Amino acid sequence: MHPGEIEEAVSSARARRALGKARIEDVILPSRTLAPAERVRIYQRMYLLRMEEALLTDYPALQHYLGARAFHQLVTDYVGAYPSVSYTLNRLGDHLPAFVARWKGAKRPAVAGDLARLELAMAEVFDAEETPSLGEAQIAAVPAEDWERARLEPVAAFRLLAFRYPVNAYLQTVRDEDHDHPALARKDTYIVVYRRDYSVWRQDLSRAAHDLLADLAKGKRLGKAIQAAMARGGRRAPTAEQLFRWFREWASGGVFRSVRLR
Amino acid sequence: MASSPFLIHPPWDSRLGNRFRLPDLGLGIGLRTVHFRHILEKWPKVDWFEVLSENFMDTGGRPLRVLDQIAERYPVALHGVSMSIGSTDPLDRGYLRKLKQLAGRTHAHWVSDHLCWTGVAGRNVHDLLPMPYNEEALRHTVTRVREVSEILERPLVLENPSSYVEFKDSTMTEWEFLTRLAVEADCGLLLDVNNVYVSSFNHGFDARAYVDAIPADRVVQYHLAGHSNKGTHIVDTHSDHAIDEVWDLYRRSCLRTGNVATLYEWDEDIPEFEVVHAEALKAGAFREQALLAAAR
Repeated sequence: MHPGEIEEAVSSARARRALGKARIEDVILPSRTLAPAERVRIYQRMYLLRMEEALLTDYPALQHYLGARAFHQLVTDYVGAYPSVSYTLNRLGDHLPAFVARWKGAKRPAVAGDLARLELAMAEVFDAEETPSLGEAQIAAVPAEDWERARLEPVAAFRLLAFRYPVNAYLQTVRDEDHDHPALARKDTYIVVYRRDYSVWRQDLSRAAHDLLADLAKGKRLGKAIQAAMARGGRRAPTAEQLFRWFREWASGGVFRSVRLR
Repeated sequence: MASSPFLIHPPWDSRLGNRFRLPDLGLGIGLRTVHFRHILEKWPKVDWFEVLSENFMDTGGRPLRVLDQIAERYPVALHGVSMSIGSTDPLDRGYLRKLKQLAGRTHAHWVSDHLCWTGVAGRNVHDLLPMPYNEEALRHTVTRVREVSEILERPLVLENPSSYVEFKDSTMTEWEFLTRLAVEADCGLLLDVNNVYVSSFNHGFDARAYVDAIPADRVVQYHLAGHSNKGTHIVDTHSDHAIDEVWDLYRRSCLRTGNVATLYEWDEDIPEFEVVHAEALKAGAFREQALLAAAR
């Protein structure tokens, strides 16, 4: 869909190739009340409204951060660059985080990019395939001496993210309709997004917990992953008590789907 | 059409319903996310639900879980907006495969989409764009409808769209095109009487002539909805109660088709479940009249 007016669209090179010398009046009939171009404009206006509605569904916090006018302009620019090529609108916003992170219309594109990445992860987790979580019985069945060589596989509805700004805290205030938003000053933050009982959950993580979970998600054995966490941490290495708490939270939260010993 | 794999009772007898013997599911409403909680808590007495196919084809999350629960308790039909049956792009076989899977999963009584195209050259504008109604377009669409019906292993059901433009290249009316398409491609019809009204206003044709010409034996479903009159044109917004003229068209058509599954659509400013359902139930009175007329 051409981003400009009908007349511009019809005179574009692409339209010329399809229509030849034909004018819009040669293709579309007028009605009793509307000229051909006015009739086509009905579709054109509805197109952008529909795209904005679809993107707003997945990116409400980004819209709040940018403001309605800037978000509308973002949608116009974005669908010009990334028009829908799928039968589903669910995938329309897949390129938006990268796009807004370099979009000149945003005052702080890096913040907007981080916020959009978080919202995209939430949308992906919402729609991900349902995979059963590891139950207590399955965990209890693993002999204590085997945990070192265990590999823990996360559920399909799982995303691990690292940000340069505290966008999760910002998003929460938007959801709570609390307009006392946190300052989005530069600060590394880490989040795990996952689904449990068909609800999407977000949990803030420390850097050490994030890196450990990332190693596990890549398939590293538990013993090796913990060794790596200790080596990375130096004097700030996680304590046994911290490690125990993290695993308890992740396991009871339904983050893992299986434990493999081979 | 004796060679049709879907034709069960030739010749058609109105007492049997449509010629595909697809059931009269009664009075239903479109399944919408805002009503999920109400449905799961109350399990309201509703004859059936129409499900927007694309909302459930690519999710493994809560929407699909809710749909599974609803499909266990209510009759369901699938209704799509992205088949793009009129496009010159190749049919999307991945889409059709998922659609067939969803139909099987929900035990859908039928699968419908629109007589339209939604994009070209790989782009999708996610709108129901009208087609020129001429022989070339008819041949093209007949071939594609037959192909889709074979893939889905059931007759495709096509809905008349509401539209805002007409093409100079058209050589026949929409109802002539739809009738020939239905017969030559052996498909069912979803007659949206609100769309008939909207298009008749926008294009200046007689809505009664439209519904009178539609082959009654191929109508397997009705759609009813409200619209927005902008003065110069009407937009099919599904945002309100149906107006009297639309109900009159429905009554007129029911007298020809007999009782056919009827569905009320509400997609903008969606009110509480009971309001939408009450609008669907209004259709009951018109169906009674059709029954009485058929009994005479």
